[in-house]
Amino acid sequence: MGDIVKHSRLSFLAVCIGLLAVGPVAYAHHGTANYDTGKSITVKGVVTGFDFVNPHVQIFWEAKDDSGTMQKWQGELTSPNRLSRVGWTKSSIKPGDTINISGYPTKSGSNEIWIQKVVMGNGEELPTGMGN
Amino acid sequence: MRNRVVAFVLAVVAAAALSSALPAQTGQGPGSAKPAAASAPAPAHDLSGVWNMHSTPAQRKYTGNTYTAEPPAMTPWATEKYNGEKPSNGPRTHSLQETDDPVLKECLPPGTPRIYLQPFPFQIVQTPKEIFILFEYDHTIRQIFMDGRAHPDDITPTYMGHSIGKWEGDTLVVDTVGFNDKTWLDRDGHPHSDQLHVTERFHRADRDNMTIDITMEDPKALVKPWVSSQLNFQLHPEWDIMELACTDNGAFLGFEK
Repeated sequence: MGDIVKHSRLSFLAVCIGLLAVGPVAYAHHGTANYDTGKSITVKGVVTGFDFVNPHVQIFWEAKDDSGTMQKWQGELTSPNRLSRVGWTKSSIKPGDTINISGYPTKSGSNEIWIQKVVMGNGEELPTGMGN
Repeated sequence: MRNRVVAFVLAVVAAAALSSALPAQTGQGPGSAKPAAASAPAPAHDLSGVWNMHSTPAQRKYTGNTYTAEPPAMTPWATEKYNGEKPSNGPRTHSLQETDDPVLKECLPPGTPRIYLQPFPFQIVQTPKEIFILFEYDHTIRQIFMDGRAHPDDITPTYMGHSIGKWEGDTLVVDTVGFNDKTWLDRDGHPHSDQLHVTERFHRADRDNMTIDITMEDPKALVKPWVSSQLNFQLHPEWDIMELACTDNGAFLGFEK
């Protein structure tokens, strides 16, 4: 990722960034040091991959930034065990699905999100299993 | 003291049975927002089922990584060790690449009672002479001997310890010793030695709610016993224990072995 990408992504993020209260979930999750849990970003795009495996379910998707350049994004959720207990299966998300993902950005500004909310193209919100 | 505890427990159980028309207390600790909806009475001497930690809002501030709001009183040996650890949970968080948490870095068994802090359910299976606790986290099993045996004299140290249990009224009391020193007491990095002695008291307040009181004693690590009261667990009859292999963490993080 170069400076040009970072600049255009920053202005893209400026539209999306809102403040998110830091909750106790931050302490329950390991490896939080990489994420900025004081910020929130939302990225809408098209799914390119979905790994429904331990230790963390991962979603891969693509979205155009402000300059029209396609950016690759990836985000992590909790264990598939916990997601399956709130209704997910390995087929819940498929390549080609339109997806709207919100969560904590990384401190480094990379295209990665600690996912807090998933909304599908048809408006359906998938529970992210953070309650159990 | 013990007789008074038993009498109190029996009185609570009797009162609960008599007042079964009223909403049952869940046994949730301070900070509970409201009493839970009515549940069925607890079956006698039966903790069977799939359970998941269900902390009160006040407890949730620390049960992601430890047992109490206040830290334990550690010996100088333990304090020095604690200061050198790099946990990946709690207020001293490090990245997964930097952490020296033995569970995250090496997939070592979490030990007792830390296994309760891994955020996955467990299933209690009771047979006449043993109680098994099957933890979803990394297929960890605890075996609690209920046949009246004592701990062996020359015990081989293990990660999870050697557990013996007995019923005191409606409370299952489990005594565990025989630990190695390769685990942390919690996810914060509080250390223990091989002299660790853990006492758990399981009490099922009603069909759906169970509390576990945990006392940790360790003359090398703790100045006085570290007591965790009323960790709350909720029954989930609709869940099955699933597989979760810690070794998958290594692939995810790209660790080279």
